[in-house]
Amino acid sequence: MMNLIKVLYKKEMIDASRDKRSVMAGLYYAIGAPIVMCLLFTVLLKQLSSPEALEITIENADYAPNLVRYLEGKDISHGESGSVKAITLMISEQYPQNMSQGKSATVTIIADKSDNKLIKSVRRLERALARYNSEVAGLRLISRGIDPNIMRAVNVQTHDQATPDSKGGMFLGIATLSIIIALFYSAMNLAIDTSAGERERNSLALLLSHPLSSTQIVLAKVAAIASYSMMGLVLVLVVSKFAYGMVPWEQLGFSINIDVMFILFCTLLGLPIALMSASLLVFVSFMAKSFKEAQSYVAFVLFVPIGLSMMTTYDIGTDYVQWIPIAAQQYAMIEVIKGNELPLLQVLLSSISTLGLFAIFAALSSRMLKSEKVVFGL
Amino acid sequence: MNKYGKPLIKLIKSSLIPLAIACSGLTHAQQNSKVLQPCYVDGLEDRLMCGSISQPLSKDNSEESIEIHFAVIPAIKETNPTEAVLAFAGGPGQSAIEVAPIFARNLRYARENRDIILVDQRGTGKSNLLQCDTDNLEQQFALDDQAVPLFKLAKEETQACIKKLNTDLSNFTTVAAASDFEAVRIALGYETLHLYGASYGTRIAQEYMRQYPNSVATAVLDGVVPMQQSLVAIGDAIDDSLAALFKRCAEEHVCNGQYPNLEDKYQTLINTVKTSPIKVSVRHPRTFELIDLVITESKLRGSIRMALYGHTTRALVPLVIDAAHKGNYNPLVGLLGNENTFGAIAMGMHSAITCGEDWPNMTDQDRAKYKKSYFGRLMIEALDASCPLWQVKPVEQYFYQPLKTAIPTLLLSGGLDPATPPSWAELAMVNMGNAKHLVAPTATHGVAAQTCANKLIGEFINLRTFESLDSECLEKDNTKQYFMNINGPVASQSNEELQ
Repeated sequence: MMNLIKVLYKKEMIDASRDKRSVMAGLYYAIGAPIVMCLLFTVLLKQLSSPEALEITIENADYAPNLVRYLEGKDISHGESGSVKAITLMISEQYPQNMSQGKSATVTIIADKSDNKLIKSVRRLERALARYNSEVAGLRLISRGIDPNIMRAVNVQTHDQATPDSKGGMFLGIATLSIIIALFYSAMNLAIDTSAGERERNSLALLLSHPLSSTQIVLAKVAAIASYSMMGLVLVLVVSKFAYGMVPWEQLGFSINIDVMFILFCTLLGLPIALMSASLLVFVSFMAKSFKEAQSYVAFVLFVPIGLSMMTTYDIGTDYVQWIPIAAQQYAMIEVIKGNELPLLQVLLSSISTLGLFAIFAALSSRMLKSEKVVFGL
Repeated sequence: MNKYGKPLIKLIKSSLIPLAIACSGLTHAQQNSKVLQPCYVDGLEDRLMCGSISQPLSKDNSEESIEIHFAVIPAIKETNPTEAVLAFAGGPGQSAIEVAPIFARNLRYARENRDIILVDQRGTGKSNLLQCDTDNLEQQFALDDQAVPLFKLAKEETQACIKKLNTDLSNFTTVAAASDFEAVRIALGYETLHLYGASYGTRIAQEYMRQYPNSVATAVLDGVVPMQQSLVAIGDAIDDSLAALFKRCAEEHVCNGQYPNLEDKYQTLINTVKTSPIKVSVRHPRTFELIDLVITESKLRGSIRMALYGHTTRALVPLVIDAAHKGNYNPLVGLLGNENTFGAIAMGMHSAITCGEDWPNMTDQDRAKYKKSYFGRLMIEALDASCPLWQVKPVEQYFYQPLKTAIPTLLLSGGLDPATPPSWAELAMVNMGNAKHLVAPTATHGVAAQTCANKLIGEFINLRTFESLDSECLEKDNTKQYFMNINGPVASQSNEELQ
């Protein structure tokens, strides 16, 4: 029995590797996706982070030369070039008078805080002004003979448990999403070709005429498809390792670091998903009457794993979703990359249920192959 | 071989190469996890990794051991897992771990892709702290240190501290400490280190380079103490830094208008307290209770000296002097009561360094030269009183040789530094084959904290050369305007009323 499946598996692999162009087409996703992601991330990071030398418009700078110089020390200065941000700092005319009399001297920040491209810069300006505020206030107290530390009635210390690896947030979700999707995409063509395609080439009937059980045929096909899926997965991981290494994450104070342990972990985690995805694709392809129909169905069915993955990415109902196959594995990947503890229970349960789905789809497919309607596409 | 196997194997083969490359980082991480625990430091939100190793207390007698504590500030993006930045704190006597927030800021660009290691040098912080008891604020304020000879005061203090610490300070010198840093490097599994030393930290950094040249890739010395220079020579730098402040105030129209003849006023004040200390009743800077303050020359000069270290407090100096001259001592009380931001200095360890390294080697000529300045005199007198009691073994003569090295070394100095002036860096680099000295004209002590030098340090560590560094940004004036009254840097017409 095993021997027969092996022979069949070899046949399927030869079949698949003959059409090199379509195999490569499937793997293009694995190579291309991380690279495209990287370019997108790089552009996005640049937009989200505040430029090193922040240029804004400062009105009435003459009223507060000391403040303006302080801001310059923090790389925030008045600019008139094209790179000046749409932030205006207006210093009130009474600033010098109020400052010298110990009254609050007004400065106004004028900016659109709903603009994502500005928000980091606005916050940076606010932070710098707050520091200047406490610096001058501290000196005012010292010159009255008072220790400025009395202003800190409560000494607030924050212990941030995040590591540079765990601050990735949404980026981490999108990165892992692209890795999981590779399992489905890299073998999609092959799955349709080996089932619906074989039927249209009339070689499926030939195959069934051999002394083989339909289960053996389905298992061999699924194994071949899963092999290509895994190839796509390893490829996407290796390409990601290098591509994500190039993104200037440190600008936002975090990093996404794909190391060897993570690659091995994902490969292990991906195996049940690859089997499940292969059996699902074969099942759907056999359901369809023709090659073209199969293509449409498969594309439609792929929304389910993508949707589940999206829910994890955007943290929608994670408490429940983290137990469902695919979402659970992605959740585990995110936790591992963050350096947190592996959610072992979720991983085990979801891997078992993923394998269960694989068994169900494989059984359904092999049952379908017993029906002439399916075999001849009637 | 089966036909189908070939493309598969090709794919697998090509992916093995990156796997093998990535594997090299693995052993390092495993070694780390053995000794490190997550920990936090006041003023820094980031999670650090802390640990300690056991080191023999003395080289001759390895029976007794001390724990050397260290902390690692993890890199944001670990692209160089075999390298790290080792930062040395100043003082001598500062705890490197305690000032982690300052190092995290100074080395923020270097941290983008390398870990930063902070080691509490033996005798400081958590590594067998050698701290003497100090007076509280009320006692310090009330003490008339001119009533008793300084020599006697220093002796009494030293005797009390010897009794408390009961240890041989000879085990706590720079030479003895260098091997601890190397042991930490080995325990953490880093192949090479980039050194960053600030103030006294530059001396231990140079000693580390001398003892373990193969462990060092680059070195940044910020506020340089040359090996051949005694810390006692600091007196001149203090005087120069204060003179520069007086000069700037005299040249600035507003400051000169508000505080004319500032230097004369300062001299008058000093002469007054020298002959007889001013005794006043003031408010405690925190409790606001009435307490006694005896203003002596050492307190007056000392508080102004500490204010010279940063531009924020420098901004107050003209106001403090002018007000005190007029009989308003509140600003002076503020300076005296302002807890310094450098963290506590471990005075026992401080004495180990100064008595073992700075005191024994002074010639009569040196003494005469240093005694020309007030702080030189003060330090020599204090060391003459305490060092014979501590009995620290003097370091060997080779210690005073300028460091000879080909390691790429970047030296940074501030033009207004009241501790380590630019001329000291020139002295330190006489035998360095691959060194560059950058001066930030308006910076004080610690250039990385005040200027764009933190960026330059990051670049220098990445490139391991200073050839392409664009140091123009160091020229940027980072001084602050002087306070014109107790409210801020703006002079007002009604100023007389306010004061």
